[in-house]
Amino acid sequence: MIKLVVKDLHKKFGGLHVLKGVNFEINGPELIGLIGPNGAGKTTLTNILDGAIKPNSGTVYLNDTRIDQLEPYQVALAGLGRTFQVTRSFRRMTVLENLYVPALAMGRPDSKPAIHDKAMSVLEFLTMDHLRNEFAQALSGGQQKLLELGRLLMLDPDIVILDEPFAGVHPRLMDIIHEYIRRVNDEGKAIIIISHQMDSIFSLSQRLLVLNYGDLIADGEPEVVKHDPAVIEAYLGSDEDEEEPEPATETQS
Amino acid sequence: MRRQVPYYAGLALIAFLALFPFVYSANDYDYIMHIFIIAFFYAILASSWSMLAGYAGQFSFGHMGFMGIGAYTTALFCHYFYLSPQATNVCTEFQFGDTWLVIVNPIGVTSTTLTQDCLSQALAVWGGAYEVTPMPVWLGIVLGTIMGGVFGLLIGLLVLRLRAAYLALFTLGFAEILRATISAEINITRGQAGIELPKLFQDGITVFGRTFSSTDKIPPYFAMLALLLLCLAILTWLAKSKFGLFVRALREDQDAAAALGVNTTRYKVLVFVITTMMAASAGAVQAHYIGIITPNNLFLLQMSLVVAMAVIGGVENFVAAAIGAIIIEFVLEMLRNSFDIGGITVDMTIWRLVIFGIILMLTLRFTRNGLITPVIEYFTRGHVGGETVAHRAQPADESEAAK
Repeated sequence: MIKLVVKDLHKKFGGLHVLKGVNFEINGPELIGLIGPNGAGKTTLTNILDGAIKPNSGTVYLNDTRIDQLEPYQVALAGLGRTFQVTRSFRRMTVLENLYVPALAMGRPDSKPAIHDKAMSVLEFLTMDHLRNEFAQALSGGQQKLLELGRLLMLDPDIVILDEPFAGVHPRLMDIIHEYIRRVNDEGKAIIIISHQMDSIFSLSQRLLVLNYGDLIADGEPEVVKHDPAVIEAYLGSDEDEEEPEPATETQS
Repeated sequence: MRRQVPYYAGLALIAFLALFPFVYSANDYDYIMHIFIIAFFYAILASSWSMLAGYAGQFSFGHMGFMGIGAYTTALFCHYFYLSPQATNVCTEFQFGDTWLVIVNPIGVTSTTLTQDCLSQALAVWGGAYEVTPMPVWLGIVLGTIMGGVFGLLIGLLVLRLRAAYLALFTLGFAEILRATISAEINITRGQAGIELPKLFQDGITVFGRTFSSTDKIPPYFAMLALLLLCLAILTWLAKSKFGLFVRALREDQDAAAALGVNTTRYKVLVFVITTMMAASAGAVQAHYIGIITPNNLFLLQMSLVVAMAVIGGVENFVAAAIGAIIIEFVLEMLRNSFDIGGITVDMTIWRLVIFGIILMLTLRFTRNGLITPVIEYFTRGHVGGETVAHRAQPADESEAAK
């Protein structure tokens, strides 16, 4: 079973304490939303999870393998894949070539025709099969986001981190991304979605993690977290929920 | 069929180059053959640099330095190492069975010391009773190639965390330090005087019953052409393998490639090693063809020429870079001829570089993929747009129907 254990994670950039002892676990194919205001530490946490930066202290275990000191490619091969906040497709490579990269990097003994067939099925799912031979730079911003998601399908990791998957995406492509997330989750993968699109986060997530200036201030079901006074104070804002009679400051723990 | 045109054109070009020495018979035969050999040399450098910079995005300006390492390795090897049937007792030497490996002591270039090397002294004592055997040229070329790879590995490891301008400056610094060191170490490298090397086929060669002397152009022509084709074959194989895919991903976005499981460190170092070995092998063969290597061969201007050739041909396509190098080498030679316009003599020894610079600037401004790559892509990728448009309606209709 998929298991991610993040324990007492600290990260400082000079005098800035970006993560202050973050702890959480993922057990099984959970669909998790990670939210927080700008500067909360979401991207830093993601970068530590995928090996791009190393924590000052704390540990991350993925399926009993410690990954916090591994290189990003080793983390990917261990079973954790991610997308980036700003889309990072391989612009001067074709759409198909973009998909071949993770499949070949995994080093599975799949034959080239098998990899091609899988890539084509991914593109059909993303309604991009007609663009297969175009360079990625010819795609729209939304299509490039889909391409990034397609690359993750080819990587086939146990845990997927999607950093702002809905930002700047046309509503029709948004539907495809929602469908993508549900499909990947149904396939038994755990997913962490980082987004400021609250509608999408609340409609998709089974669990919410809320970061605020390096502290994990809430971890629970979306409906519960939504009414957590600390979260309201830090992120959602007290005016958003009229059912909250008490000022957020008074409920701060 | 249209997609196959570049391949057939490539085969036709190879056939032309293979037949040219036997069908061309003008008075300037040796001159044209010489230009071809030099053009092949630059084509190897431009195509391997294209793999390094164009495919992998590693803008190294140390390529001529690696070329120099190959050239100087074989030069020093052939200059200082000999096999002797008898111990000299004055040189550093090691016995292997009945043979002695003799290492000649460096004596620099001053006229008073020219006859003072230990081997000359030993030969004088022997009075012709024994003869020493120079090292085989092919072994020097192999050693030069390996040494280029070793330095490529070291530099590749050192520049792992450097990108873009920092990488360019680092490699530029390496090449300049190497050139300065070779110039300064007169005692060993003979400095600006350079080191003479045995010819590529010092004792001549007989092929299919025809004997060629050491000064004939046909053997070095085919040696350099074979090396070029070998390099292009290796580059083609690499480009079509996952190596080519990964180094292009590395060029596009190193972090994204790593996040998708690509060991970027391994491929960055590998591409350095492979391309520097190619540059070193070209340098070694070229040095034996010319017969002398000097630090001037490593000048920054030479590196600029290789970069310009690759850019004009098409830096993201090593075949285009190679063709560009051959064409530019010929254009530069043809532009040597001065001419008169209305009684005014245009001195092309000066203006040819200006014209070359203008061609480079216009290429960068208007065709960033070079002059050859767009032609190749017209045939290989010209159909893509049409295919996309033809297929576009289908999924849209299907999705509408599904709704």
